[in-house]
Amino acid sequence: MLTAVENQLWVCLLSVKYNIMREMTNKVTFLTNIVFMMLNNAAFIVQWLILFRLREEIGGYTMKEVMLLWGLTASSYGLSHILFARVFTLHELVVNGKLDAYLVLPKNVLLSVMTSATETSSIGDFLYGMVIMCVFSFGVGRFFLFLLFTLTGALIITALALLTGSLSFWLVKSEMLGTHMTNSMISFGTYPDGIFHGTAKFLLYFIIPVGMAIYQPVHIMVSFDGGMLLRVLGYTALLTAVAVAVFYRGLRRYSSGNLMESRI
Amino acid sequence: MEAIRAENLSKTFRVKRKEKGIKGSVKSVLHPQAQEIKAVDGVSFTVEEGEILAFIGPNGAGKSTTIKMLTGILYPDGGSLEVLGLNPTKRRKQLAYEIGTVFGQKEQLWTHLTPYDNFRFFGAIYDIPEKETERRIKELGELFTLGAFIDTPVRGLSLGQRIRCEFVASLIHRPKVLFLDEPTIGLDPVVKGTIRSLIRQMNKELHTTVFLTSHDVGDIEKLCERIVIINSGRVVLDDSMTHLKDIHTSGMSLENIIMDIYQAEGRSEAV
Repeated sequence: MLTAVENQLWVCLLSVKYNIMREMTNKVTFLTNIVFMMLNNAAFIVQWLILFRLREEIGGYTMKEVMLLWGLTASSYGLSHILFARVFTLHELVVNGKLDAYLVLPKNVLLSVMTSATETSSIGDFLYGMVIMCVFSFGVGRFFLFLLFTLTGALIITALALLTGSLSFWLVKSEMLGTHMTNSMISFGTYPDGIFHGTAKFLLYFIIPVGMAIYQPVHIMVSFDGGMLLRVLGYTALLTAVAVAVFYRGLRRYSSGNLMESRI
Repeated sequence: MEAIRAENLSKTFRVKRKEKGIKGSVKSVLHPQAQEIKAVDGVSFTVEEGEILAFIGPNGAGKSTTIKMLTGILYPDGGSLEVLGLNPTKRRKQLAYEIGTVFGQKEQLWTHLTPYDNFRFFGAIYDIPEKETERRIKELGELFTLGAFIDTPVRGLSLGQRIRCEFVASLIHRPKVLFLDEPTIGLDPVVKGTIRSLIRQMNKELHTTVFLTSHDVGDIEKLCERIVIINSGRVVLDDSMTHLKDIHTSGMSLENIIMDIYQAEGRSEAV
């Protein structure tokens, strides 16, 4: 059993390594994608600096906390797209019958699919998140919490994409729902939750899970709360389990396809 | 001993119907309509260990759907299925260690990697120790004469070279059953000949069972001992090649015999 898990992880790592090798085929494009994504993210620091000159706190957040929010959103999004980028285009594989190559392999089909692509610019997002955390809020304990929440955040973003992508087994155009949900999560994840009230807050905690992926972790990093930490971990495990179950339920409806295709 | 057994296998697809034009699009949103199509309808056959079977039929007859059910890609709607004593639906991963697939129209190799790196990756997928993978790459590389291009990225290879690499990737774990879906599609006669002699050699030396679908009569004639013809999702003929030729007019080519059977049964237009 342990050997099987080790072998599966080894194949996943090899897959990510080969994805990065593919992205590095053109070194200039690879590096500029990363650097420009970091610069693009950094541009928002100026916006927040201006806002914090006008007010000391926005939605209960100081500049340092907003940067922590930004850092966690960027690193979570980055990690999910470095390791599991294919989930974000799962609908395309399902609708066009492109899962065959993964289904004939003796490995976990979901992990094989998920780890079969990497998005270069997301390496820039991930690095930006780490740099921002170290520059604005560094502390040893906080850094380890940041790493943990980057992982839970990445899992929540991935699980949400997997859940909506798996709807493609039933609905042909489900990708729009998935794209909107993920984009909303990233957009809202860069604003303090204190500025949202009522229905908006309900949506951010229960429909678009940005509350559990970003807001709660930031609160924990600012002021540690063990109960809240357990809730975040439990929510991550639950959402992941539901998304995986929906994927496998949908896989029974998979109808393959006869399009010419290649693994690129 | 039987390598494959299929009994009353069936698979139905729901296909959406839409009338032409924008009016049809609007109508399909308000009143979506779908049609059920039986791609495979009560198919039964067996394949003995070490046999090379041709599983043929016109386009849309249900060949690829059957092969996909045999390899665990699709779930059958009805009937029972065993490959090497395993149910592909329930034991997909376990079965994958024992079978190999070459789909002529679908590449499994990473195009930015060299064949060598691809084979190493497949070795890891099948849990083969690194040294053993190296040994098998060398052995299969010699058999399929990959020496000149084993270190060239796959995207730079010709179709014939790529298909040879696809075969090696599918054989790296020494499968007991090899499923070939149009393996020689688009290849020139020389490369086709090479591929056929390699399949024969592999079957003879390793006793590999081969399940072949192809529209190329040459593949069938030169490789197969038995032929199963499927049309509109049903088996219309299951016979040995020798007997098939004996019962038809002497001198009639296999292509004409097959055409006669297709025409007698009516070409499938279902799928």
